Amino acid sequence: MNLAVLYLLLVKATLTSFSGLASLPVVRTDFVVRRHVITDRQLNTAVAASRIGPGPLGIYVVSVGYLVAGAPGACVGWLAMITPAFLIIPMLRFLGTRAEHRRARAVASAVLFAGAGLMLSAAAPMARDVITGPLSLAIVAASFVLIAVTRVDSLWVMLGAAVVGMLSFLF
Amino acid sequence: MARPRLTSLTRLFARVGVTVFGGGDPTIAILQREFYRRKWLSPEKFAIAFGIARLTPGTNVLAFCAASGWYILGSLGALAAVLAITIPASVLVVWLTRAYDLTGHYPLALSIANALVAAAVGTMVGAAVLLVRTQSSSGRWPRPIVIALGAFLLAYVLKLSPLQVIGAAAIVGFFWVES
Repeated sequence: MNLAVLYLLLVKATLTSFSGLASLPVVRTDFVVRRHVITDRQLNTAVAASRIGPGPLGIYVVSVGYLVAGAPGACVGWLAMITPAFLIIPMLRFLGTRAEHRRARAVASAVLFAGAGLMLSAAAPMARDVITGPLSLAIVAASFVLIAVTRVDSLWVMLGAAVVGMLSFLF
Repeated sequence: MARPRLTSLTRLFARVGVTVFGGGDPTIAILQREFYRRKWLSPEKFAIAFGIARLTPGTNVLAFCAASGWYILGSLGALAAVLAITIPASVLVVWLTRAYDLTGHYPLALSIANALVAAAVGTMVGAAVLLVRTQSSSGRWPRPIVIALGAFLLAYVLKLSPLQVIGAAAIVGFFWVES
């Protein structure tokens, strides 16, 4: 597949969605159903790789690009993934000093608090999936305490969890 | 607010890009905490970046990174933030795609990934507490608590989309202004 076409198809999928995996139906229609350039199994692999790996779930489009056209395809997928992100800059420029207004600040702080609620609502199903025993519960509790109560760098929280995960597999 | 060097900003985003598992929400939670810890971004600007990112098409967390990078160091900061958070993670995901396709499963990697997602859950709850706590000065706690709890109920119980919840919060915030 032509790399320009690959880019346009992937950027169409990312531009018409508002979260990581929301573009999946569009990607499936274009690449699996219409053009037959990848299979459902390969698309599942791309999604699985994005779930296993770090970073946003939307990174699966990089895998899709790779499966379609190798390393150049991965670069195109990456470009399609990051392109929409920069649309936010003109919006912020437009807000500019309007954001300093008292009522605008009140709206911003309400959005911030809603963000806390949204974060909890995103954490709840993840917690249900991942807490499968005392060890995972202990990791959740320890990370919570370290993040909320101490000033420890979050890198150490993540590295500590990785070491615990590795040791729990080995022993 | 402190103004970091471009290398420090790039290093933070690259590090978060490869160490945070579980998707965009844990990534934002970690970034929020690190911004506050380093005094790089005020809560007001974080709120604007967070809210507008939800309205931006594509992967929200990348729009959030562009916005926070832009607030911290301008256009170069936005570019550095997005590149740093995506390039190392993209290399890893391609490698994982190859590995997954060849062998199917990696139990050790899955065990580590599960532990990292567990840590991400604790981090998200901790970050939510920090978000409310940093803004709740003495006697002003009802507004943060009510809005955060309301947003949680709308999203988790009523299954409203984040965009709808943000919209509802914006309306409440517009009318509920504290003196």
